[in-house]
Amino acid sequence: MNMKKFLALILLAAIMAFSPAMLQSALAAGPIEIRILHLNDFHGFAQPYKSFGENDLRGSVAVLANRASELAKEKPTLILAAGDFIQGHNWANFSKGKASIELLNLMKVDALVVGNHEFDFGQETLKIRAAEAKFPILGANVDGLSALQPFTIKKVGDLYVAVIGVVTEETPETTHPRNVVGLSFTSAEKSVAAYVEHLRPRADLIVVLSHLGFSADKALAQKVKGIDLIVGGHSHTKLEKGEQVGSTLIVQAWEHAKALGVVDLTVQDAKVTKAVSRLDFITPAGTKDEAVAALVDKYAKQVDAALSEVIGEALVDFDGANIRKKETNLGNLIADIMRQTAQADIAITNGGGIRTSLAKGPLKVNDIYNLVPFDNYIISIKLTGKQIKEALENGVSAVEEIKGKFPQVSGISFTYAPTAPKGNRVKEITVAGAPLVLDKQYTVATNDFMAAGGDGYTSFGEAVKAAPDYQSAGGSIRSANIVYNDPSLWLRDIVVEHVKVRKTITAQTEGRIKEVP
Amino acid sequence: MRIYVNGREIDLAPGMSVKHALLALDLLKEIQAGKKVYDTAGHEVGLDGALSDESRIYVK
Repeated sequence: MNMKKFLALILLAAIMAFSPAMLQSALAAGPIEIRILHLNDFHGFAQPYKSFGENDLRGSVAVLANRASELAKEKPTLILAAGDFIQGHNWANFSKGKASIELLNLMKVDALVVGNHEFDFGQETLKIRAAEAKFPILGANVDGLSALQPFTIKKVGDLYVAVIGVVTEETPETTHPRNVVGLSFTSAEKSVAAYVEHLRPRADLIVVLSHLGFSADKALAQKVKGIDLIVGGHSHTKLEKGEQVGSTLIVQAWEHAKALGVVDLTVQDAKVTKAVSRLDFITPAGTKDEAVAALVDKYAKQVDAALSEVIGEALVDFDGANIRKKETNLGNLIADIMRQTAQADIAITNGGGIRTSLAKGPLKVNDIYNLVPFDNYIISIKLTGKQIKEALENGVSAVEEIKGKFPQVSGISFTYAPTAPKGNRVKEITVAGAPLVLDKQYTVATNDFMAAGGDGYTSFGEAVKAAPDYQSAGGSIRSANIVYNDPSLWLRDIVVEHVKVRKTITAQTEGRIKEVP
Repeated sequence: MRIYVNGREIDLAPGMSVKHALLALDLLKEIQAGKKVYDTAGHEVGLDGALSDESRIYVK
């Protein structure tokens, strides 16, 4: 054997030892085609529904699963889930996401990246869900949770595809602090860069499975070279065709099982030579996967049974009929629960968020869900006395129109003159029996609708901005005036728990809100 | 976080979504009337979509 052949053999042996991917693809003849199917931000929307403002039913995870199954038969396929699967709709919530994991198992998903909402039921539940999953759950930039792995390498046809998972570093600010105790959410960019370098010799393709949001995906593609594809989520973006940033293709499949993302890649010599991406829109008119349809029905029935569960008893009738025009015992009950949950000085909530009355007698979960049906959560903000007065003025400014902005309160009492000019109706205000001090700060629990400025409540946003440490640059808001913020827990579930723990509930009007001439 | 809706500036707490941005400017009724929300690249976004600091969205 001559020296050249001998050296070639040594080189080949080295390649075989360290890079099976390179050898495999080097041996494969011609370009290789694979397909990547993806979905994101499912949030338990298993059944078709009408989006706000639309008349047509969209979605159906049973139809989506069938479509995925058909497409996967056509060529070697990888199926990826880009986060936010276990929390959202009752269908997922009532089993704390078990339903969603069973769904992904049935669909033979190859990997899921944690979304920020995967933490909403706490780490122990997430660990249980991870143990149930027949696929890896990824989170390369999450330190402290062994249930997550940073990447996975899958053989798809003749190609080795490395999938690195990253989630938004803002996760701790979007869920209750108890849900992320002991965890660090580090730089997604740095994690991806490190793993791309580590995995490039071992894989023909590098895919980032991202729950960062579309604009962050674009920034990532600009900053980190060597990523072939970013499969995204978090921003619920309907990317009908992928967007190319340098040599990286970015895709995202909207939300709520309304679309299945399809990416067809042609790869030669570990380079993507052709990429075609699209969204297949899902409607209930399609053919269903029978196993998934049965799963959807199974958990839908469990939700119905859970909603029918009797959890306690109302000892009195709770008045929801007058909740937009005066103090009621029902408004007091809800406001008290909010104030206690947030451990705030005061609670102010809009009457319009409380939709029914409660009759004396047994209470079912469904009664509470109909009572406070919106996906609202509690947020508590430090307001000055002046801002509180302005909030109350806004609340009573349309009392003659019986508008939903009328406030129900806890920890505070006030009088107002309904016939006085708007903006000048609120007269006396007391907090814990003492007159409100205009330049003193109080913690005020409210709901996210009002905190965002709904029903004209601008005081909360102004209070957030007024904090001396306020900054809104290069990342999330920082404000010492936000003292409680838990988007992971809906108000209705807090009320359900309140009733379950106490078994009986009662409340009365106490003169918290009084009309004066 | 600072968000711009149709060019107007608003500030939202962490964890808030596209729908909160619309609430702040009383624009949900536009969605109810059939309009959609788009990002700067012209892609439609869902009402529960997350926002990041300096996001710009458009209702049309």
